[in-house]
Amino acid sequence: MSERPTGQELTEAILEFLAGEILPTLTDRRLRFRMLVAMNALGIVHRELAALPAEDDSDLRELARRIRAGDVPPGTLPRVKSGVEARLLIASPQFLESYR
Amino acid sequence: MRDAFQTALSGLLGREVEISEPVLLAGGASKEAWAVDADGRRLLVRRAAATVMHHHTLSLAQEFAVLEAAYEAGVTVPKPYGYLADVAGREAFVMERLEGETIGRRIVRKDELAGARERLPVQLAEELAKIHAIPAERLPFLPEARLERMVEELDEVGEPHPAIELGLWWLRENPPPRRPAVVNHGDFRIGNVVVGPAGLVGVLDWEFVHLDEPVRDLAFSLVRAWRFGVPEKRLGGIGDAEPFVERYNELTGRDVRPEELDYWELAGNVAWAIGTLTQAQRHLSGRDRSVELATLGRLSAEVEYEICNLLEQVTA
Repeated sequence: MSERPTGQELTEAILEFLAGEILPTLTDRRLRFRMLVAMNALGIVHRELAALPAEDDSDLRELARRIRAGDVPPGTLPRVKSGVEARLLIASPQFLESYR
Repeated sequence: MRDAFQTALSGLLGREVEISEPVLLAGGASKEAWAVDADGRRLLVRRAAATVMHHHTLSLAQEFAVLEAAYEAGVTVPKPYGYLADVAGREAFVMERLEGETIGRRIVRKDELAGARERLPVQLAEELAKIHAIPAERLPFLPEARLERMVEELDEVGEPHPAIELGLWWLRENPPPRRPAVVNHGDFRIGNVVVGPAGLVGVLDWEFVHLDEPVRDLAFSLVRAWRFGVPEKRLGGIGDAEPFVERYNELTGRDVRPEELDYWELAGNVAWAIGTLTQAQRHLSGRDRSVELATLGRLSAEVEYEICNLLEQVTA
């Protein structure tokens, strides 16, 4: 588990927000019903993510530890950058576009 | 709540005042901001929130002392009215509520603010020169920033982030010549200033004030995350860095070099990358459950990408 909040933790945060701040404001009965259905669907995603095996981040921890110790061989920066790029493709693909 | 404000503000202003219904403004998890008018005077009340404060920020009493010092030093800030030990059970302070735009996205885009954007680089430099001239001995409680504090904060998060480590490593290996520490605003950037059609209306958010190198403050406003979708304008999405730095140098005689600016811009990005992670921790630890704070944890990847980019430039 290297990326926090994990997908599971994010769905949990969204569920809390919807239940605590949005649902109480919905007065339209149809919208309220559909919101409950949507929250139920998000609950399914949440439990499905919880059932996945935890990601192994030992390589990443080792890399971070080495850099901290000052062990930075040539090629470290491109390696680190491509790792960040892979995370951005999930977290914020439009941000990558702003560099092109 | 209205009665508590009525009593507190009457005491502060020294007479019975007529107040408007206090309105809780958005933003700020550790401190509340209330808009209230007393006898037609526009006030803003900063009040402690229910949750525990971030341990690297100033207390409300300290923040008020800083605001007073800045006001006396001629910095363009909201007029400070006074500190209140008890507003409905929590401490608070009162200042003027300025009129203008604070939302970064609007400041960099709005047509009506095109003239303001032309004036802002020079105006921001003038404010910073005044802030850096505030006598530090007047604020003896100010902490001194160190690179190691960033490392400690990262270790408290406990996640592996090689890009941040790489940034910290480069900063440790390549320090510019040290300059004497001055009073730093600590969060000086678009988003923390009030802007009107004629430009700068006031400098806000004084809770991160500390002692540090002057260039740190200067370069923080260049961090890409504060360009609000206009990345080609290095100074907060509103303009170029050169007129800003030239005016600052002219006023302070400090002769800040471009390579120092590059160093501290990288340092600002490293600080903000760690900042996004510590903000997400507030949510993950259960202290402040919030979908906004949670999402910030993933925005770390944006700042880390910029760190890699800046490292490519400085090592090229």
